[in-house]
Amino acid sequence: MDFVPLILSAKLAVATTLLIPLVAAPTAYILAFGRFRGKSLIDAIVSLPMVLPPTVLGFGLLILMAPNGPLGGIWKDATGERMVFSFSGILLASLIYNLPFAVQPMRAAFEKLDIRLLENSAVLGLSASATFFRVVLPNSLPGLAAAAMLVFAHSLGEFGVILMVGGSIPGSTKVASIAIYEAVEAMRYQDALFMSLAIIPVSFLALLAINRLNGKRR
Amino acid sequence: MKRMLTLVLTILLALPIAANAADLLVAQAANFMPAMQEIIPAFKTATGLEVQATYTSTGKLYAQITHGAPFDIFLAADERRPQKLFTDGLAEKSFVYAKGKIVFWSLKKEFGSAPWQEAVKNPALHKIAIANIETAPYGTAAMKALKKEHLWESVEPELVYAQSIAQTFQYAATGAADAGFCAYSSVFTTEGRKGTFTVVKEAPPVIQAACILKSSARKDTAQKFVKFLSGPEVKKIKNKYGYE
Repeated sequence: MDFVPLILSAKLAVATTLLIPLVAAPTAYILAFGRFRGKSLIDAIVSLPMVLPPTVLGFGLLILMAPNGPLGGIWKDATGERMVFSFSGILLASLIYNLPFAVQPMRAAFEKLDIRLLENSAVLGLSASATFFRVVLPNSLPGLAAAAMLVFAHSLGEFGVILMVGGSIPGSTKVASIAIYEAVEAMRYQDALFMSLAIIPVSFLALLAINRLNGKRR
Repeated sequence: MKRMLTLVLTILLALPIAANAADLLVAQAANFMPAMQEIIPAFKTATGLEVQATYTSTGKLYAQITHGAPFDIFLAADERRPQKLFTDGLAEKSFVYAKGKIVFWSLKKEFGSAPWQEAVKNPALHKIAIANIETAPYGTAAMKALKKEHLWESVEPELVYAQSIAQTFQYAATGAADAGFCAYSSVFTTEGRKGTFTVVKEAPPVIQAACILKSSARKDTAQKFVKFLSGPEVKKIKNKYGYE
């Protein structure tokens, strides 16, 4: 059995989980505490990847990320490389795809915070960023952990979007889900089974962990 | 608002849902779709029989058939899988219904119109789409052409692998890849006409075989369709889409 696709999937899942808070945490914060016009619009845009068929999202990203596309063009000018068919490309696709799965639990965690905590910190003279790091974050850890687990499990199982923008290049974009699909197509059912067996328990453990975290929060 | 919703729901519910009125269910390899979409109405005009086709990759259709999918005929993109169904006792003897050709297609004129051997060596060409060389017959044939011309080693790092010949074309047509080894049939689509191509003569023809499935309860109709496939009318349609 070829282990490279499994390692690549793990790499993608870890990278997505580590990078997604950079975008998801501010977005969730704005959605939880912000009072402004157009909030529901932002909410809808962020949630869109969750309801779009992966092929639709993938095809859209393929056009955006192609060398002559708006996003791919900027990337090419900046790095000299092609965004589609590269690990950076599938990582970006994965981040976009996973955004709602990170934002929703984070937002829920922020909204459950006792507003008096925030008021106290304001009264005591803490700046907004200090409040975020010293009050908001420590008090919403279970929600953040749940978001991380959900994103990790989703990245492991991701298929449709990567199928579109990846190009199945061994060692760079051929992740486990693609390798499994190809094994089935090639009638190598044993390989497909073994690779699936490697992914299922990990995803299952992630879900168990999410449930425990959610249980704790209640 | 509420009344509006009720109205919409009522209309939706009142719409007749097309019952499965097909006389024949065909499992069709996706590359043949443009031709098949002309063959089906022609068959209906000739016989009055309704054919319904499912278009996806040969590998997926094969997996579905071995797990009991209720198709009557399987029109594959290769010879291997219909033959395997026959040796496994799941289908009648297979027959060849089309021979496909490979083209080197690109949105950019300078790649599509040069001899393809020159185009793949062009330093301005970085990524070339090819169908999966293991599972897609069109990918295997393209690989053979590259190996025959001793270009495989130098071109391999530039290849991006699509899951089907349809996706190969999609990579090339969106400009995600600079060019692609596509099926001749894709050249005849609206998107296909936007680019240029050269025929890859060095690639062996992709022999596409078909078979009637043993589980079919409509073998007479299936036989009629098979006979129609080898007729002059279908030959004309096939030629139009670059098949022999």
